[in-house]
Amino acid sequence: MNKSILLISIVLLAFFLRFLHLGDVPPELNWDEVAWGYNAYSLSTDLRDEFGKFLPITYLESYGDFKPPVYAYLDIIPATLFGLTAFATRFPSAFFGSLTVLVSYFLVINLFPKSNRREWYGLATALFVAITPWHINLSRAAFEANVASFFIILGVTLFLYAMRKNPWLLALSAASFALTLYIFNTPRIVSPLLVLLLALSSYKELWNKKKQVVMALVVGLLITLPTVPFLLSPQASLRFREVNIFSDPDVVAISNQGIANDNNSYLSKAIHNRRVLYSLSYVKHYFDNFSPDFLFIHGDGNPKFSTQDVGELYIWDLPFFIAGIFLLAKRKEGKWWFVFLWLIAGIIPAATARETPHALRILTTLPTFHILIAYGFVTSAFFAKERIKQWRTVVTVTLVILLVNCLYYLHGYYTTYPYLYSGEWQAPYKESVAYVASVKDTYDQINITRKLGRPYMYYLFYTKEDPRIFRQTAIIARDPFGFVDVKGYDKYRFADDVFTIPTDSKKVLYVTQPGEVPETATIQKQFPLLNGQIGLVAFTVDQLPTKQATESAGKKR
Amino acid sequence: MKKWILLGIIAIAFLLRVWNIGGVPASPDWDEAALGYNAYSILHTGKDEYGKFLPVVLRSFDDYKPALYTYLIIPLLPLLDLSVVAVRLPSVLLGTVTVFLTYILARILLKKDSLALLSAFLLAISPWHIQFSRIAFEANVALFFNVLMVVSLLLTRKKPWYIFISVIAAACAIYTYQSAKVFTPILFFIVIALYYKEFLQISKKYITAAVLVGLIVIAPMMFYIATNRQSLLRAQTTSVFYDTSNLADTTAKLAYDDAHHDVLGKIFDNRRVFYAQEVLLGYLSHYNLNWLFVTGDNPRHHAPNMGLLYLWELPFLLIGIYFLLYGPFERKSKLLILLWFLAAPVPASITTGVPHAVRTLNFLPTFQLFTACGLFFAYLRLSEWKITHYWRYGLVSLIAAFAAGNIIFYLDQYFVQLNYYYAKDWQYGYAQAMPIISANQDGYKHIVVTNKGPLDQSYMFFLFYLKYDPATYQAETKNASGGFAETHSFGKYEFRPFTIASENPTESTLFVGRPEDVVGGNILGKVSYPDGTDAIAVADKGTPHEQK
Repeated sequence: MNKSILLISIVLLAFFLRFLHLGDVPPELNWDEVAWGYNAYSLSTDLRDEFGKFLPITYLESYGDFKPPVYAYLDIIPATLFGLTAFATRFPSAFFGSLTVLVSYFLVINLFPKSNRREWYGLATALFVAITPWHINLSRAAFEANVASFFIILGVTLFLYAMRKNPWLLALSAASFALTLYIFNTPRIVSPLLVLLLALSSYKELWNKKKQVVMALVVGLLITLPTVPFLLSPQASLRFREVNIFSDPDVVAISNQGIANDNNSYLSKAIHNRRVLYSLSYVKHYFDNFSPDFLFIHGDGNPKFSTQDVGELYIWDLPFFIAGIFLLAKRKEGKWWFVFLWLIAGIIPAATARETPHALRILTTLPTFHILIAYGFVTSAFFAKERIKQWRTVVTVTLVILLVNCLYYLHGYYTTYPYLYSGEWQAPYKESVAYVASVKDTYDQINITRKLGRPYMYYLFYTKEDPRIFRQTAIIARDPFGFVDVKGYDKYRFADDVFTIPTDSKKVLYVTQPGEVPETATIQKQFPLLNGQIGLVAFTVDQLPTKQATESAGKKR
Repeated sequence: MKKWILLGIIAIAFLLRVWNIGGVPASPDWDEAALGYNAYSILHTGKDEYGKFLPVVLRSFDDYKPALYTYLIIPLLPLLDLSVVAVRLPSVLLGTVTVFLTYILARILLKKDSLALLSAFLLAISPWHIQFSRIAFEANVALFFNVLMVVSLLLTRKKPWYIFISVIAAACAIYTYQSAKVFTPILFFIVIALYYKEFLQISKKYITAAVLVGLIVIAPMMFYIATNRQSLLRAQTTSVFYDTSNLADTTAKLAYDDAHHDVLGKIFDNRRVFYAQEVLLGYLSHYNLNWLFVTGDNPRHHAPNMGLLYLWELPFLLIGIYFLLYGPFERKSKLLILLWFLAAPVPASITTGVPHAVRTLNFLPTFQLFTACGLFFAYLRLSEWKITHYWRYGLVSLIAAFAAGNIIFYLDQYFVQLNYYYAKDWQYGYAQAMPIISANQDGYKHIVVTNKGPLDQSYMFFLFYLKYDPATYQAETKNASGGFAETHSFGKYEFRPFTIASENPTESTLFVGRPEDVVGGNILGKVSYPDGTDAIAVADKGTPHEQK
């Protein structure tokens, strides 16, 4: 069979699985996605981000977080071509996600260059990445981690290829790695680690290629330099400080109690040092990412990252994953050890955070899991070929089981997943914004609840608001910690409790959750989730309810 | 030399298991108290607490658990009286013997004395095995019988009469612990299937006789299972299929499929698919690294801040699995250890509350065999490695220091911190409350004790500590039920939920309850947990006529 046709089919399959109904499954955009989309739109309008910063390079300020900005730039072309839509917003992720499948193939070829089965390893890896729930879920929403993952894999592939064929390509590899620092947070740890591992693995060859190495260093440093001052600033570590496990005060209390229980003995102060418990906590969060439930049964607990009824990988993958580990360690083909070290390194940053396991933050390990699965599968298939007459039947039946796994996942993904979890994708916003924008002229002010999260961005996104008007009319509050709070713009006002917003005029439209609608309200329109539950209600009131009335209405729900 | 090392290992094992056995864990839990009192009851009346003559299965709290452990306590009672030490000692002793059996097992399978000694040593210091060897948990005794069964089956190949020991050991395991009914036959058939050629060469006489012996020994249990439907109750209530509350998502999905005429959906969202996932998850949850190395499950099943294995063992476990698979061992030995390792979670996988350290105690000693291999081969490789001695000794001392620190950490967590943090989980306080009650009880006609958590099944602790006469108890409580929420009474004691404020006793009554039960009463005495919070309070209504 012609292997390049196989590869092309696999990549086409990857594109198909990532682009089919991209605009409406997942059902709506989550708040990070609309922020990417709108910032791209804003940049394409006047080269400024939503808050008016001119061509941000080191960070993009979004909901008080300082995000690496590349995704917004990648989104400019799709947003210009297709308009400000869900499809356009997700396009870069789906596109680079599909290309990840292709580059995974070349990665594997270059990891095992001398193996005569390298093409099979590569094809199997590409196929498993193409159909894996983990990568499909994350490629079908605007997750910048997914783009970062592409460039990491590209960087490794270029490095390996450069060492074998054309050392001048080292510069491209360096560029690719350096770029990841501008795409997502976790690569800021993982990329340098991988570069270090690669450099150590072939330091002798690198020594002989001084010119090219210097060139690569220059390119890498030039790209990295602009962001260095930012990386050292407190803003860069803001997110880390929010989510890290090393600020848990309980640990100190437990350590002190442990020492007291030992009557303050000398040895006790060593074993109950708080660093011991923090290390233990780190280990726990690290191991969380290997939990069988997460990997093979239910996936990430956050429905944005997983459909909840398939693991990040298929259960089919499990035996081949384990076989792959042992077979690769036994056969020691090519750069076998690099696969393991990459997998171990890819999880290091994610384990410092409280929420583990985390499909998005360990995406930097991609495609090491799939390489191991592919190695296990291909080696077993060849083993069968040597021993069993009907090996074709055995392999086919095994692949049919994988197909059933795959159909089970895809079926759930396109039917019950949007139905059950549309609320997780902020489903009622789109319809409600369309309605509110259509009746906006008949009201003096529109008060909107913030309880579903970041409504202002959805109004900007779905009404394609001119960013200049937003910047002129926006009421923005900043607290000393750097958090940004958009309290309103134009006629829109946002608050957790819509009745606390000062209203001078009488013509006010309220949009809030059903439980908070007072009895005296005149309901204008209701906005259901896909499962029929009402998510938001637009209404008017003749008289503002007192504080107690709101509370009792809330309690009734 | 080897003999002395082995003796040393067994001595360490015994010391770690017996030291302060009455004081750590701080209190017996209700199952331990029940095993003790039932032994006491059988010793004095021939019947258990429910009046059943020489029971095969203990009804205890309507658990219907195999009764063998109780019989192991009986011979210790004349010597040690009804005490925590007497209840826990069978587990201590057989746990220590398991360490010795592990040595034999490893020597037969791996054919290397050093590996066998290492395996035995690792089991001797294993947090998992120490945990259950220091308490009266039947699973630990069942583990002993399972290992004995495998060892004697392997020895049968040379000396056929060992087959009788293995058959009896298998039967004993089934008389000891619920999940052995599933696991022991699996393990038995794994060994038979692997070595069937050698077993076929044993004289038919032995095999026929062994089958007969087996049938005779197991007959009472078979008869019991056939005639008592309740015996299946426990198995039913702990199975994943019993709990239907988690089907909500499946129901919603099926409703969607119905509305959209989705035939494929009706197949995929079928309840059977859901249960298959749950069973698989139950099985796989026992290979979760956090459960094994960091967190453990129920507080009664591990020491604080410890899992079931040492963290320092992890790299050697992985290396060990690798070298056991590819190392210079007999194929059948490899298969036996591997299949044992993979079969261990099977009985637990269909139950709720997974992962479960007790139901999967049969993992032992496979983890230790792997880790021993890992240590052995890692050392071998290291000594072949072309590095200077300084590096080599440096590396070895680093690992040794980490391991030693880990072990010291564990010993401290177990022997010092466990009582502080987990006293409540061990139902601490009854032993300390008894003197307060007996000092005050004289003026009262009734004593009411709560049975709300953490003081559930309080009646059993009173029977245990009062050494209440079993004959009297059986006569007083004919047809009593053992269910969880049931009230009990004997003598002047009554066990039921109460709050002292809403009680209006006509006769003088002493109340024993949780701190929140006696609010507003006249507190006569209190027991605190080791961390200083209140555990049990003894009080009365405080009205004038009740005061002495």
